[in-house]
Amino acid sequence: MTDLLSRLPAIILDGVVLGLQFGLLAAGLTLVYGLGGVLNLAYGQMAVISAMAILFAVNAGVPILAAVVVGLITGGLLGLIFDQTLLRPIYRRQGEARVLLSLLLTLGVAFMVDGYLNWNDPTAGLTIQIGGGPIDVFGVPMRRGSIVGSAIVLAVFGLLFVFFRSTVLGRAVRSVIEDEEGARLVGIDPSHMLRIILVLSGVLAAVVAVTQSMIRPVTVTAGFSITVLALIVTVVGGLGSVSGAFLAGLILGVINTFATSEIGTFLSLIILLVAAAVTILIRPSGLLGVRE
Amino acid sequence: MLDVRQLAAGYQGNDVVHDITFHVDQGEAVMIIGSNGAGKTTLFRAMCGLSEPSSGTVVFDGADVTGEPAQRIVRRGFGFVPAERHLFPRMTVQENLALGAYPERPGAETMEVVFDLFPRLAERRKQHAGTMSGGEQQMLAVGRALMSQPRLLVLDEPTTGLAPKLAHEAYEALAALRDRGLTLLVAEQQVPLAMAFSERGYVLENGVISLEGTSEELAADPRVRSAYLGLS
Repeated sequence: MTDLLSRLPAIILDGVVLGLQFGLLAAGLTLVYGLGGVLNLAYGQMAVISAMAILFAVNAGVPILAAVVVGLITGGLLGLIFDQTLLRPIYRRQGEARVLLSLLLTLGVAFMVDGYLNWNDPTAGLTIQIGGGPIDVFGVPMRRGSIVGSAIVLAVFGLLFVFFRSTVLGRAVRSVIEDEEGARLVGIDPSHMLRIILVLSGVLAAVVAVTQSMIRPVTVTAGFSITVLALIVTVVGGLGSVSGAFLAGLILGVINTFATSEIGTFLSLIILLVAAAVTILIRPSGLLGVRE
Repeated sequence: MLDVRQLAAGYQGNDVVHDITFHVDQGEAVMIIGSNGAGKTTLFRAMCGLSEPSSGTVVFDGADVTGEPAQRIVRRGFGFVPAERHLFPRMTVQENLALGAYPERPGAETMEVVFDLFPRLAERRKQHAGTMSGGEQQMLAVGRALMSQPRLLVLDEPTTGLAPKLAHEAYEALAALRDRGLTLLVAEQQVPLAMAFSERGYVLENGVISLEGTSEELAADPRVRSAYLGLS
């Protein structure tokens, strides 16, 4: 017991680091679902492609900061390409048919991307090294990569909150999530908002790749596990809610770290799924989801 | 200002309204009365671009807007308040109103005009739209539509779900707008209220316009008296 108590600060801090990553993972996915009713199962692959773009740039001798910018642009472009091609036939459908078609098409793309990347170079992986020794946080030595990664996630969430609360465009996006017909009646074009959000979601996927790679390598096969984790966090946080994604990410991050440390890695994903199932049983629309 | 000719519309190829022809002139207050299921909502949705009409034309301010999506028609100065209101429930009164002015940042004067008309909204400006009463939501829906400074305001059953006293107040507010020169078109099944408010009207029955005339003419018509006014 005293043992657990002495480990607790480290578990919580590691949990917060992981949780921030989880929250960022979910943010890009939840926005696209909330706005367009499109579940993008190739979301993790968008992050991996962005990571590979960064890797490519770094190997070509581009300085790391510029390479990260290349990655962010790649992510945004991927979102734009998705919106202009794959999602066109999906938008033409409504309700359940739209969700199903989006699942099938994006899953197909995810398999193709995974297949290509594996064939191309199965060992490729992006690691961004943040130099220097561990930093002491509340008596717990934390790796610099974790701290910088977490700081970036917090800054991104800060920007997202300012965007959605205080800008005309951000409010317009929210209005489409709240009531699409109401948004059209004030002159907002939902498909225009969806395009902006897909680009944003692509950029967020690229940020995920950057911050993840500061903590552990982002490999060519990371796509599906990113998507699955993002889905779990999205469901717990509530579809379409960025603050829900943030909150759910933190909670699940701490739960996951606790499970890994005290029970074992092999059970941690199952425990996450149980936490998601319990949340849905108690609150079907997630922690901060819009009630249907 | 608004000229609808031979409009037909419905759902999935089945027309609910047929051969609808009517017009609204600048500065007029016009009503379309009809019972539940007569086709008022179908007609209005097709007219303002929320659904596509199957035939006919809609001309607004001299421009053919038939089949144009609602988000474009609205920006021409054609305000529409649907019966279900379609507010943004998790945004405050103020945010709802501000979005009404999209894509502009809302002018402070316009918002003051709305608050003058509906002082209740000013008291509740920080409250979420979804937590307000039916009457307040109706005020907010009208207020949001006014934020774009429309030249024509179209309302589908503005008294839906309102107690008689609130329904009265809703029409008092609309009368105030009419007296300021705003052109108004309402669909209504509470016929006495609409009649006291408008100069002219049309009767929509089973998807077609069966009667038209000034409010006095309609009020004197034996069919209207028995079917809508409960008089014999």
